[in-house]
Amino acid sequence: MTARLESLVQALLDGDQALATTELGRLRQDKVSPHRIVADGIEEAMARLDAKCTVEQFNLLEIMLCGRAITAVIKALYPPGQPPPHTRGTVVLASLEGDIHDLGKNIVKVVLTATGYYVVDCGKDCPLDRLIDTAKAHAALAVGVSGLITTVVPQVLKVRDRLAREGLGAISVLAGGAALKQASAEQLRVDFLAQTAFDGLGYLDQIEAGRR
Amino acid sequence: MTGAERIRAAVAFETPDQIPVIAQVFGHAATLAGVDLQDYLRDGQLLARCQLAARDRYDLDAVFALMDVGVETEALGSVLRYRPAGYPTVERYAITPNGDGIDQLPLADAATAGRIPELLEATHQLRTALGDEVLVIGCVSGPLTLTAQLMGLEAALYLAIDAPERFAQLLDIAAEFGRQCGCAQLEAGAHTVMLFDPVASPEVVPPQFYRELALPRVRETLAGLRSAGACFTWLHVTGNTQPILLYYQEAGADLANLDFSVDLQQASATLPHICFNGNIKPLAFVEASPAAIAAEATRLVTTFGPRRGFILSPGCEIPLEARPDNIAAMIAAARHPETSAAVATRELG
Repeated sequence: MTARLESLVQALLDGDQALATTELGRLRQDKVSPHRIVADGIEEAMARLDAKCTVEQFNLLEIMLCGRAITAVIKALYPPGQPPPHTRGTVVLASLEGDIHDLGKNIVKVVLTATGYYVVDCGKDCPLDRLIDTAKAHAALAVGVSGLITTVVPQVLKVRDRLAREGLGAISVLAGGAALKQASAEQLRVDFLAQTAFDGLGYLDQIEAGRR
Repeated sequence: MTGAERIRAAVAFETPDQIPVIAQVFGHAATLAGVDLQDYLRDGQLLARCQLAARDRYDLDAVFALMDVGVETEALGSVLRYRPAGYPTVERYAITPNGDGIDQLPLADAATAGRIPELLEATHQLRTALGDEVLVIGCVSGPLTLTAQLMGLEAALYLAIDAPERFAQLLDIAAEFGRQCGCAQLEAGAHTVMLFDPVASPEVVPPQFYRELALPRVRETLAGLRSAGACFTWLHVTGNTQPILLYYQEAGADLANLDFSVDLQQASATLPHICFNGNIKPLAFVEASPAAIAAEATRLVTTFGPRRGFILSPGCEIPLEARPDNIAAMIAAARHPETSAAVATRELG
């Protein structure tokens, strides 16, 4: 990796979006391709953040700052109308109906987008029907549901059956969030219960690799 | 011993006649009484009636004069959206994402604004009805949590990095307002006031952020509550708080609420002189069986009862939709641990 790419990685890890954008400008001047900037800059930063953020040492602030810097770099790299190439599959995310907390879901969105997944965000307070319809329309690789409050559990329990009924049984279901983490994947009838955003990414990478 | 005496004995590391138990029955009291949660959260007399009914139903050692974390931000100008079957959420924050509005917060009138008078009415009614037999517990949001409630969590955390002085100013305001609200609750009859600060969790901000920004203000708030007559101070941060527990003594906490993800053995070593309460999974009160709750509660009582500074409780609020027989099972385990252990063994094998 060049020193300049390493500077970008460090700026991203420090959550310094101004410096990250400046480093991006320098890389573009040096004619470094967007593909390389994503692969050796953004994805490298995510990999290092992943290694650093264990279940015991995971805090929202650090991820948010890194995520904000990455979002700024991606926006500068791919202005509106020129979306980044997504090669790793589509993931549909939602905070289900009754839950209006979406910060955790937004973090997952940044992590997945920065690592090459195409994320369709159904937002918060999302009815189950909309989640299923969106997964169908986008031929999703997986759906991810988050829950900060326990009252969403009954809806989470329905996701897998609803997908199967629509002939979408091959779509993986991931869950995460403070309330849901108190249960197990079996109890929630999902394929994977993510303890952190990177935990979810690791699972997606496995199923994505398995389908290649 | 009365329930209140039992809790106070545990906080002082004295030997209670049986393990005290605090069931964090908040909005669940409305569910239990068949009352609309929206009414419960806006009517102090109704809240008190539901809490008293829950106290009778479960034989509680403590009741809560507590509405939701929106009370203070609403009093300071945020607009809440009330929902049929859940706690209200902020629809419009009092402060913009870049911090505009801090200087215009209506601090002078806030202590009597919004639902605070109803909250104080609930507190007064509960203390009048229960005297000193059962603890009446109030609640204020911690400085980080109230700050997040005033402008949104994401905006607050970005402000902390982008404009630290402005963020510190807001934290000072939040801490002072929390102290004022807590003192008003004590004056209305609360025995103590829990300082609830989920945003201070190490899962949200790093420990050094807590140490530098939250700790000095939490210490000041707890000291203020103690001076105003709180029978003990109680700190409740959610999630795995192990990385910040070493600051609790410095914060002046007499009682530490420990969430389900905290390893109590490790916490006990970190907090040798601080009583803690915990830490059954809140979701278990919805999903598990009474026998499973009895087994977990009995395990906690057996393991941590000898410590003396231990109060059996869930790790956090009991969910609105909890099974009443599960709550009863937890309380029975504190009252009659041997019987509960036998029930758990018989049912679960």
